[in-house]
Amino acid sequence: MNKTLLTLSTMTLLLLGGCGQPAPGGIGGNISDADTVSIDEGRYGNNGAYNSSSDGFQSVYFDFDDYTVPSSQEGAIAKDAANAQRVGGKIKVEGNCDEFGTDEYNYALGLKRAKAVKDSLVMQGVPASRMVLVSYGESNPACTAQTDACYAQNRRVDLRLVK
Amino acid sequence: MPFWKGLLLRFLLLFLVTLNLFAVDATLTIEKDVEQRAKIAVEDGSPLPNERAFNIFLSDLKISGHFLADDTHRQGDFATTVIDPALKSKEYLLKYSISQIQGTKLSVKLFKTSDGTMLFKKSYAIGSSAKMPFLIHKAVYDINAALKFPSIEWINRYVVFSRYTTPKHSEIVLADYTFTYQKTIIRGGLNLFPKWADSRQRSFYYTSFNGVVPTLYRLNIYSGAKSRVASSEGMMVCSDVSRDGKKILLTMAPQGQPDIYELNLATGAKTRVTHFNGIDVGGKYAEGESSVVFVSNRLGYANIFKKPIHGSAVSQVVYRGRNNNACDAFNNKVVYASRESSSAFGNNTFNIYLTATDDTASRPLTTTGSNQFPTFSSDGSVVLYLKQLGGSTSAGYINLYSKQSQLFPINGNKIQAIDW
Repeated sequence: MNKTLLTLSTMTLLLLGGCGQPAPGGIGGNISDADTVSIDEGRYGNNGAYNSSSDGFQSVYFDFDDYTVPSSQEGAIAKDAANAQRVGGKIKVEGNCDEFGTDEYNYALGLKRAKAVKDSLVMQGVPASRMVLVSYGESNPACTAQTDACYAQNRRVDLRLVK
Repeated sequence: MPFWKGLLLRFLLLFLVTLNLFAVDATLTIEKDVEQRAKIAVEDGSPLPNERAFNIFLSDLKISGHFLADDTHRQGDFATTVIDPALKSKEYLLKYSISQIQGTKLSVKLFKTSDGTMLFKKSYAIGSSAKMPFLIHKAVYDINAALKFPSIEWINRYVVFSRYTTPKHSEIVLADYTFTYQKTIIRGGLNLFPKWADSRQRSFYYTSFNGVVPTLYRLNIYSGAKSRVASSEGMMVCSDVSRDGKKILLTMAPQGQPDIYELNLATGAKTRVTHFNGIDVGGKYAEGESSVVFVSNRLGYANIFKKPIHGSAVSQVVYRGRNNNACDAFNNKVVYASRESSSAFGNNTFNIYLTATDDTASRPLTTTGSNQFPTFSSDGSVVLYLKQLGGSTSAGYINLYSKQSQLFPINGNKIQAIDW
């Protein structure tokens, strides 16, 4: 229905535009008078409610520009492994970064962090087939204040069940 | 003038040029180029004077690299062919009349000031008032072509960019190169890394994070037709599109390992281009699409490398800096962003450098602030980048041939990726 309306309104605009401007030229090339679409994907996503771990998991934190699991985070890994045995189901392992990298490289850094957590959990007996990795780069900050403590909270891996 | 005075004057000029070269990128202009550009005045003959339109004309003329535009907003009668004697010092006079009632109508005339000859005359119209900047870009493009200057086709193109709105949410926006025109194409959800799919800019690729794993879609901006291209666990980014639009470079991580792949869209065949147990991302076609320039941490830090698509030899492209984490390529030219400081807590300086796939020398294109996302224009003559300085973001353009640079402020949330 929406598509039909969109097509009709686009055609009407084209026709009206054509009637109103017979003499002068349009723009030509890549830009045309035809209207471009506007898509709303608001039904997707989680409204920002889940920007840290859920379903009994704990987030794992990393050092600046690094993707090895720090020894200080071994306790969190052990608790996540135990929780994984308890809850069952597929686990989403989400890599996150602070805001200081650049686009793709930052997403790759988040992915390597997620992979490091997955590998640590496999070592603790969680089957690799139960985990799916996704990097959210810098798109999912847990904290947005411009402080050292806040930046550190964003260099993390979150875990939750796939729903 | 005595010989010694001339010599002193030349020395002073050389000194000023040298100062300019090492100043901020907004003053990268090299004085000797000034003499090679055509002096032009712009006169507003609109029923209601339009300063916004005048400023877009000025920006277009400046960034073209072919004109030295007078920045005085002159107003006059559009119909008259009499040229003010005060303008005889200019080579050309561009007169325009613009009206934004029921869409946008623009008329332009170009005169040769020495004898009053009209060299070019054309009228343009479009049903949208918001698309006014595109009419001006097209008029300047046509005037540039009428004077037989090298093409500035890129001035007419759409810029597409993604920006964050809230955690795990973003929007994808269309703009003209000055960001005066902006329209949100996709709002809601998390949709990132837009990349034009064809030279006519009918469709773009983007990564949707709205499912369990990242998925690449292609969207037609006019019909709204959306098709799924590929998906991968971990990462899925379209980093470049071949000239004919039949092949794309992807960053994927099917086993949690980010590597670069080439996808043949006709056959669906995927070729793994890089094999490295670290980070390989941001593949860009180079050297006639026979090789790929990309970002890798194979030396322990992010740097720029290249390899033939169908070969195995990986070679280092950049030999300076300790964190070069984004790049673009056009044939054998490479631009890259380099982090000049290493603070874990912000305020890092990033600069854009220009180098070549067959040269070890790099020259800086920017000198202040945080400059990222370097992207070549469709003809490789201009570099687009984003500058953050003092809490504000601007789109910057550097014409590599004329050394002209321009900055346009961008309001709103942080930009994630950009293409044009």
